[in-house]
Amino acid sequence: MSGRSNKFSPYLFISPALLLFGFVVLVPVLMTFVFSFYDWNGIGTMKFTGFDNYIRAFQDRVYMNSYGHTLIYIVATVFVEVIAGLGLAGLITMGRKGSGLFRLAFFVPVMLPMIVVSYLWKFVYNSDFGLINILLEKIGLESWTRVWLGNPDTALYAICIVSGWVYAGFYMTIFYSGIQRISREVYESAYLDGAGEGQIFFKIKVPMIRNLVETGIMLCVLTGFQSFDLFYVMTNGGPYNSTEIVTTYLVKVVFTHMSIGYGSALAVIMTIVIAVIGLVAGRLNKKDSSVLEY
Amino acid sequence: MTQVLCGDPDTCTLYESEVYRLTTTVLDLKKDAYSGGEAASRRTFSHILYYLFMIFISCFYFYPILWLILSSFRENREIFSAPFALPEQINLQNWSKAWTVGNMSTYAGNSVIVTSATVAGILLFASLAAFAFSKLRFRGSSFLMLMFVFGLFMPLQSFFIAQSYIFEQLNLKDSYMGLILPYIGTGLPLAIFLLKAYLDSIPKELLEAARIDGCGNWRMYSRIILPLLIPNMATVGIFSALNAWNELLLAMLYIQNDALKTIPVGLLAFSSRYMTDYKLLFSALSIITLPMIVVYLFFHRYIVAGLTEGALK
Amino acid sequence: MNKRMIALISTMLVTALTGCSSAASNNSPANNGGSDAKPETLRIAMGSPGEGLIKVWETIGKEFEAQHQGIKVEFSYQDDDTYQTIGLPNLLSGKNAPDLYFEWAGQRLQTRVTDGYAADITEQLQSSGLKDMFAEGTFNGMVIDGKTYMIPTAGDVTNVIFYNKAVFNDLGLQPPATWEEFLKVCETIKQAGITPLVIGNSDLWTAGNWVAHIISRVVGEDAYSEAMQLKQPFNSPDFVKAYGYVQELWDKGYINENVTAASDSEADMLFLNGSGAMHPIGSWLAPTAVEETPELELGYFNTPAIPDGKGNQDSVIGVLNGMVVNKNSKLIDEAIEFMKLYSSPESSKKLSDAGAVPITKDGIDKETMLPLSLELNDLMENAPALVSPPDTGYSIEVANALNMATSEVIGGAKSPEEALAELETTIAPLK
Repeated sequence: MSGRSNKFSPYLFISPALLLFGFVVLVPVLMTFVFSFYDWNGIGTMKFTGFDNYIRAFQDRVYMNSYGHTLIYIVATVFVEVIAGLGLAGLITMGRKGSGLFRLAFFVPVMLPMIVVSYLWKFVYNSDFGLINILLEKIGLESWTRVWLGNPDTALYAICIVSGWVYAGFYMTIFYSGIQRISREVYESAYLDGAGEGQIFFKIKVPMIRNLVETGIMLCVLTGFQSFDLFYVMTNGGPYNSTEIVTTYLVKVVFTHMSIGYGSALAVIMTIVIAVIGLVAGRLNKKDSSVLEY
Repeated sequence: MTQVLCGDPDTCTLYESEVYRLTTTVLDLKKDAYSGGEAASRRTFSHILYYLFMIFISCFYFYPILWLILSSFRENREIFSAPFALPEQINLQNWSKAWTVGNMSTYAGNSVIVTSATVAGILLFASLAAFAFSKLRFRGSSFLMLMFVFGLFMPLQSFFIAQSYIFEQLNLKDSYMGLILPYIGTGLPLAIFLLKAYLDSIPKELLEAARIDGCGNWRMYSRIILPLLIPNMATVGIFSALNAWNELLLAMLYIQNDALKTIPVGLLAFSSRYMTDYKLLFSALSIITLPMIVVYLFFHRYIVAGLTEGALK
Repeated sequence: MNKRMIALISTMLVTALTGCSSAASNNSPANNGGSDAKPETLRIAMGSPGEGLIKVWETIGKEFEAQHQGIKVEFSYQDDDTYQTIGLPNLLSGKNAPDLYFEWAGQRLQTRVTDGYAADITEQLQSSGLKDMFAEGTFNGMVIDGKTYMIPTAGDVTNVIFYNKAVFNDLGLQPPATWEEFLKVCETIKQAGITPLVIGNSDLWTAGNWVAHIISRVVGEDAYSEAMQLKQPFNSPDFVKAYGYVQELWDKGYINENVTAASDSEADMLFLNGSGAMHPIGSWLAPTAVEETPELELGYFNTPAIPDGKGNQDSVIGVLNGMVVNKNSKLIDEAIEFMKLYSSPESSKKLSDAGAVPITKDGIDKETMLPLSLELNDLMENAPALVSPPDTGYSIEVANALNMATSEVIGGAKSPEEALAELETTIAPLK
């Protein structure tokens, strides 16, 4: 009995996970790939059109621009999330009293559902009674007031700031735990040598957690591609498609225009782009393979 | 309780860090005491600068939330005319109205059901699979693991179109299962990956000894592996729960029936209906925000550890 | 300790699963078995008609349940924008598909008929006597190939220009009849330090509708309609001219600065609370105004006549809508019965009390209805030409493309020529 059951039991252990994962992820990925070669609205007949959807995608101005917007968003969030988080981590590891409180406090936005954050900041940016414009008026900078989310020059950056508001504390916490791991002797000798906090930050803390920072940037890039809630609620791509990112456009094409075939092609292209980024990043990370011993 | 805590290396370091923080403050104070007058005043100045800056950042973090909650006690016109003024009184009427007209109890109940089923499913299936991948040898093991790793990098957007189609054909839309299944399925890869990484670090000898004692795979899983995994399952559970609790896109696409909506879609429906009834909308947002902050205050150690670890792997 | 934890997890699992399955069975469709014990459910879907009207629908639902033993009426309301885009198609293809649903007459109804979601109710209308409750013209756009597919519930003028009477009186202004007068009015208001026009165009259809009306006035109703059906290019001198009028409004600072960021309801609130003198929006503003700011004196005028316009300068932009019976419904007769109850004089009374404009022959109670709503209803009934808004009359992709171009012009982001050139590239793959 034991002999046979041992042979098959590993498969019994993994089968629930595998079946479910296959059903909700793997099969749909393959089907999306198949759909992308058809002209289809989800209800009527499917018409095979070869690579037509892909050709249309590369001529689709809005779709191509959405990659540009995603890129801007990612670059900006690397600064306002990862780099800002690193700065905050430096500040709260200076050993000052109350740092623990600040560390707890800056993590709070991570807990809030993204949709709540989006509405909250939509009001903060509101041009009539939003916090920012009112504040600018109060301090006599009335000429600085803007329709933040209605102006194609500011809308995308306004969203990036919100992203920073949410995630800077998150990256701070990650870097904080890295800095905590640096042995105390290192600091003590530096202090004895008369190093200032700035020097300690740049010469000790940052270099010692370099791997962690790189991983943070990677994470920021990969999740940046998948953000949706913030854009959907705050601008839904507007004004004039200036905040249209790949995911919001995808939802529009599939569920507003009911172009399942075309939408699938857009999804496949996006998947390939992310896979390539992931591979390149993996390759880069391999050089120093000691990734994050947690 | 402490036993469980120290089983988790991460919470352990959190504790250590707390101790470390205390000792450094003490060291700091000592330094202050020993250094001369001029250095001390420079130090005081830098302290003041430091706290001013931190308070400034804290304002950036908390003023919007505070503004949201204060505004929820006011009238629409006041929000328009004097956005900075304090509410005249703390009146929970807006809140109770938002709670009832917004069906918030239904949404919250649905979120609880969907989230707890999702977490239970992920923990059960992932621990089973992680055990097999880590401790049992079988044909195709590395290939199958690779598929889950592949799932780690798949964004939702690369499969939701076809998933939506399949669910429609199988009548899974507008049911709890329509959310629970994809939430479990998309949560599994990361959960398996984390649990397997942990099991890999458990010495083989432990299991071999058990096997010699005649322990079968099932007994080994339930008697040895599960107890060992509990701290890590807590980590996995925390970020799985938060992910399920906050998920918007699928819930928005799959749930049309108001009685089945989770909090994020419910809020979406609520806000489009009362977009300009600002006091109600602010109240609804506050009702959702405050419990999350309270939960965080109580369980921040586990939550912070769970979320950061979950994201990093 | 360990055992307790396992026990905890397993109870959690069990409660989660049972909790889920029992709740799911509560919501499962009741109309599967033939057993009499189970009540059947008549499902009715629509967008968000507003609090007042939702109450009326639900009262009528209760009455219907009282009259029909064993039938439960269930309403599902969605955000208008969602309903119009992903909501309704999702509902229709789902397992709890509605038996009766809200739809716009014209192109959209045509799509439902083609996809097999609209029942031909010509006979039922006759036999139930519903048909005679409406004037003949009310079924415009609801008859396809001689078959009727819809029971009319409302007609909406999608755009007139509402104005704040107090502001007009203070400045000694009269509602303008021509575009020149309109510009003068705008200028006077602007000089007085008030925003002349408030528009909330974040969802693109608000300005999209109104500007489509201007376009139809300039290029002619037929040319507009043909362009929308891709039978004619958009990028023509006439369209450029029409957009020129719009561009002028923005360039002269007559439009609220946050036109692109505000939603339609936000703009309603801005206008009703006095931050703006005029507001081009549909007839639904009248009941909202009564509810939100009863003291505000509201006037309206139709889009002013445009010099040398090729279209009918008295045209009205509007849409008729109604309820469609799902072809796949098992309760077609009950759905008709429900609509008969809805169209009864008693229900019409409730509807008009809530600020709606019932369009049954005897439903219009001139005594109790909001005077403004009544006037708008007359405007619609007597319109020499009825123009369909882009997003309810035509293909949604073309409508979105046109509305995008419109938003770029009205927000000052692009010149008419640029916007129209871009519009042509956007719709090129659809031809």
